[in-house]
Amino acid sequence: MEKIYIKELWSFRELLSALTIREIKVRYKQTLLGAAWAILQPASLTIIFTIVFGIFLKVSSGALPYPIFAYSALLPWTFFSNAVTFGALSVVNNGSLVSKIYFPREVLPISSVGAALFDFAMAAMVFIIMIAFYKVSLTSNIVYLFIIIPSILFLTTGISMILATLNVLFRDIKFVVPLALQIWLYISPVIYSFDQVPEKYKVFIFLNPLTGLIQSFRDASVYGKEPPVLILSYSVILSIIIFLLGYWFFKSKERIFADVL
Amino acid sequence: MKSETAGNKAIFFSNVTKTYYTSKGKYGLLRDTLGQILSPFFSGNRHVRPTVLALKNVSFNIKRGETVGIIGRNGAGKSTILKLISKITYPNSGKIFVDGKIGAFIELGAGLHHELTGRENIYFYGTILGMKKKEIDRKFAEIVDFAEIRKFLDIPIKKYSSGMYSRLGFSVCAFCNPDILLVDEVLAVGDINFQKKCLDKMASFAREKTIVFVSHNLEAIKKICTRVIYLENGRIAKMGNTLKVVNYYIKRSKEVIN
Repeated sequence: MEKIYIKELWSFRELLSALTIREIKVRYKQTLLGAAWAILQPASLTIIFTIVFGIFLKVSSGALPYPIFAYSALLPWTFFSNAVTFGALSVVNNGSLVSKIYFPREVLPISSVGAALFDFAMAAMVFIIMIAFYKVSLTSNIVYLFIIIPSILFLTTGISMILATLNVLFRDIKFVVPLALQIWLYISPVIYSFDQVPEKYKVFIFLNPLTGLIQSFRDASVYGKEPPVLILSYSVILSIIIFLLGYWFFKSKERIFADVL
Repeated sequence: MKSETAGNKAIFFSNVTKTYYTSKGKYGLLRDTLGQILSPFFSGNRHVRPTVLALKNVSFNIKRGETVGIIGRNGAGKSTILKLISKITYPNSGKIFVDGKIGAFIELGAGLHHELTGRENIYFYGTILGMKKKEIDRKFAEIVDFAEIRKFLDIPIKKYSSGMYSRLGFSVCAFCNPDILLVDEVLAVGDINFQKKCLDKMASFAREKTIVFVSHNLEAIKKICTRVIYLENGRIAKMGNTLKVVNYYIKRSKEVIN
């Protein structure tokens, strides 16, 4: 069954890229700053986090300056948050397409993730500039990013599919998502480092697949050290499971989308 | 599925029944779903989801190359048949078989995005309809000329008049080269010249393609259909020779009024 899905999705790959490009274009049309917003979002959060948490509250950022400490986590976080925000709404927002034209519906949440990936690439350029500016020395551990980034992609796609499906059935989801993301930011090691979490709370890491991924992203990039392998492996496996679950859930409800919208 | 149908059938419906859920009130689906989940705990007060019957035991065959009209009053189930053929929605029971690439002129403009320019929309809509980029490149000039929008190609289509909007939609559809063409009331749009152009385009299609044509315009039905299906409240009331079925429909409509 999965094989048929993948084959069909492959035959609609042009639609997938067209939808992704459309989403990027439409998002920045009639905005003065255009795609600069992709950079301003994590950059402005980095500034405010640096002031509030780095200077006022003196959250430790280890051997690194707080701005690059914050940005190295805000980069994957912003991707996740944007993709999920738009992904959750993707099917409902394209209701007129879904109820009138046939195509594999999963191209909608996947293209939202694709558009967020474009923003991620833009914001990553600022990351590279910051790395040069703060003279951060990279190590060979950077190759871990080739595992970490695809895992974030899987996780993000899976969650987007679950939320997109639920949002078709219950429109309450569109209010739940921004709230949940706000909370999720605080329970992920963005503002602080995972090492600063008291021992007795550390077990909760297993509830949040993003913890391991964001911590590992920061460790492997700016700290140049090996990520916590056990936690990373767990997060990778959980991300893949969530992706498969999300895909299955989406496909199992897809047939009633047009009737409900 | 393919093995059980003979070669020259394009569309095949066997005992197809379709109901839609209707949700009332602002809690709609959530309340209905919760009601369904919770109802076993509250015996005697079973929650039944309200449904509306769109099609009941509908069976028909459409051969390759036929042009079949579907007529009937509003809500008779005409558009539901088109949606079932194009796999936008699925039946509750019965079997549906469709062989060939489908092109749907259903509600023009569904695939257009108002923030994008005419040029961008041609590419985007064409892709949705299953065309490859190269194919659109090749047909681009024809599409633009047919839609008569050459001067406005590079402005966002939200600035278009409604006539330009629907001409753009129709043109992209018309050039996507499907095996089976589904047409739902598209002739209601555009001025008389463009309507005539659309009809001519469809007539030229009719020579080689399978067409399913839903319309209230009985003159257009008589002009291009080889066979007609008349639906009444989700059931097939009469099917066959175009003139006979159209006349029967007119007779039935008068009976209802009287």
